[in-house]
Amino acid sequence: MTNALPQTSDVVVVGGGVAGLSTAMQLASRGASVTVLERERLGNGSTGRAAGLLGQLRGSPAATRMLMDGVQIVAELEERANVEIFVQTGSLRVAQTEERAGEIRDLVEMGRGIGFDIDHLPIDEVSSLLPYMRTDDLVDACYCPTDGHLQPAELVAAYLKLGREHGVVYHPGCPVRGLDLTENRVRGVITDHGTISTGVVINAAGPWSYLVAGLVDTPLQTAALGHVYLTTRPDDSHPVDRLSPAIRDRHLRIYSRPESGGLIVGMYGPDAVQHDMAALPDDFDMSSLTVRADDLHVALLIDATKRRFPWIDERTPMTITRGIMTFSPDGKPFCGQRPDFDGLFHCSGFCGHGIVQSPAIGVIMADLVLDGSTGYDIEAIQADRFFDHPGLQDRSDIEAACYQMQAGYYGRIEDGDGGVVDEPAGDGPTS
Amino acid sequence: MSFLVLVPTKRVPDTDGVIRVTPDGLDVDTSHLSFVINPFDAIAVEEALRLRERREDVEVVVVGIGDEAYEDELRTALAMGADRAIRVDAAEPLDPWNVACVLSELARRLEPRLILMGKQAVDDDSAQTGQFLAAKLGWPQATFASRIDDSENGAEVARETDHGIETLSVTWPAVITADLRLNEPRYASLPGILAARGKPIQEMSLQELGIEIQPRVELVGLQQVASQRTVRQVETVTELLECLRENTELF
Repeated sequence: MTNALPQTSDVVVVGGGVAGLSTAMQLASRGASVTVLERERLGNGSTGRAAGLLGQLRGSPAATRMLMDGVQIVAELEERANVEIFVQTGSLRVAQTEERAGEIRDLVEMGRGIGFDIDHLPIDEVSSLLPYMRTDDLVDACYCPTDGHLQPAELVAAYLKLGREHGVVYHPGCPVRGLDLTENRVRGVITDHGTISTGVVINAAGPWSYLVAGLVDTPLQTAALGHVYLTTRPDDSHPVDRLSPAIRDRHLRIYSRPESGGLIVGMYGPDAVQHDMAALPDDFDMSSLTVRADDLHVALLIDATKRRFPWIDERTPMTITRGIMTFSPDGKPFCGQRPDFDGLFHCSGFCGHGIVQSPAIGVIMADLVLDGSTGYDIEAIQADRFFDHPGLQDRSDIEAACYQMQAGYYGRIEDGDGGVVDEPAGDGPTS
Repeated sequence: MSFLVLVPTKRVPDTDGVIRVTPDGLDVDTSHLSFVINPFDAIAVEEALRLRERREDVEVVVVGIGDEAYEDELRTALAMGADRAIRVDAAEPLDPWNVACVLSELARRLEPRLILMGKQAVDDDSAQTGQFLAAKLGWPQATFASRIDDSENGAEVARETDHGIETLSVTWPAVITADLRLNEPRYASLPGILAARGKPIQEMSLQELGIEIQPRVELVGLQQVASQRTVRQVETVTELLECLRENTELF
């Protein structure tokens, strides 16, 4: 705490990750007074451990548009904050089975239908593009030249710089203890350092967002699930160009992108660690999550990695990054108000795609708060879609549904998933 | 006869954990801590595994001295690839002299050609056990190794000193202690984790080894050191220069 909390603020954003920081910046740019309260340090939760892969083509035009607009917003941020955020490496999806090749055919067809730059890429061209990747087992691949990744730290820096210019005040080290309500209307936010009067609270607390909702006894359908990725160190015998394309291999459930001369490889594994956020201390630092040398998730990740990148194995010098993702039961975020409380807006549940969704989500949240509506199609990400769902009120039911969603990410092919098509991986909790 | 490498390991709190002292000031509060193989010992395990990858006849045996909880860390070493493990049952952590007594007795029985261990444990930072052990056995020692070039009869060991790299030549059997830059320990592979479940952890008692613990060190108390470091964000280069001028003690 460097200065005292303001007594009043038009909007209080709970959570200083990309979702909250983008929303705060957009709201302030439209003239609102905004206070961001962060439990620990800004950008040091899931945001600080994200790989930031940007694959713009999703199953629905609405989701695709959001990501494509995000690229435009990022371009403006880059110019105004003078940082490089978007690294346009292009992206490749690879298929090693006929079923996966069918997915790629569908994807190419869908992409072309909406004018997105995507095409099949012959395997020999894949080999020359990615000499460090095994390709002899591939049957098809598709390439999107305008994809890439967003650099999370630079994105945070830009949100902060422009947010400060618009007058956003940031209070790290300030956990929220309660919400002040009059009947069903938000009146303020209670912290150890005082109460801020406000009519609008944005719950952008990521993995902690269900606890923020819990402060007013309303269940939010998100769960905190562990994720690991590896980063190899630069290796002269397997150079990775900084503009080498990102790769998604749904059969092996892995994704990959270049990082500082090495390679990031992450996995949506079948058995994610479930985190009880309530059990963690206020000053919990996500970077303190370490892994044992015999961690099973790491072993599974390395096993899948060496099938696609045979020069990487358990002896390869690497760093393991362990973080927490916020999953929802259908793989989509919650954005907006629900029928229970006026002024409580949720902005959470990005299922490992928060970095890339945050630029447009900030605009959407500002629209919803200030105008009550937005030009974006937000049907699929309405915050109230599971509000009175009888099977999604208890924590155990919610966690089971989110866990199942994560397990199906990249996994099953019959239902599609959040990685390619904008549909739940499983049959979803509603059936 | 195989070339047996004995790798003593210590179980220590995870270095990323926040260390707190118990209210009586006599111990570290371990209730919220997770444990790992002492990082320098993990480097020793890794080096032993690399030695086995270079030579066909190597058998890697990891040793732990402690209670049953220790078996988690021994299992980790087995998952990394060690062949078998021995746990010498002890209710309390022993001081370096007594650890050396236990290890020298084990060495007499197992007749390793090499004892490879961390240069120190990160919990008490004593950095004594390897030296005591070599002296008790009458073996050559090379401490703080940053490179080991092994041959049939011994090894050339590069060790890091304040004055530069010193190269020693030792003959087997020898004690070598590992420094940070010797290698980077591997993660366990999936087959390694599965195989470790079936590998033996032999339990031995101090009585079996004929050891009577005679503490040489008494722990009088522990004190938490308060961090004096502060962080301040400066807005401009001018402010940074002013800050540096005002804080000349930084240089």
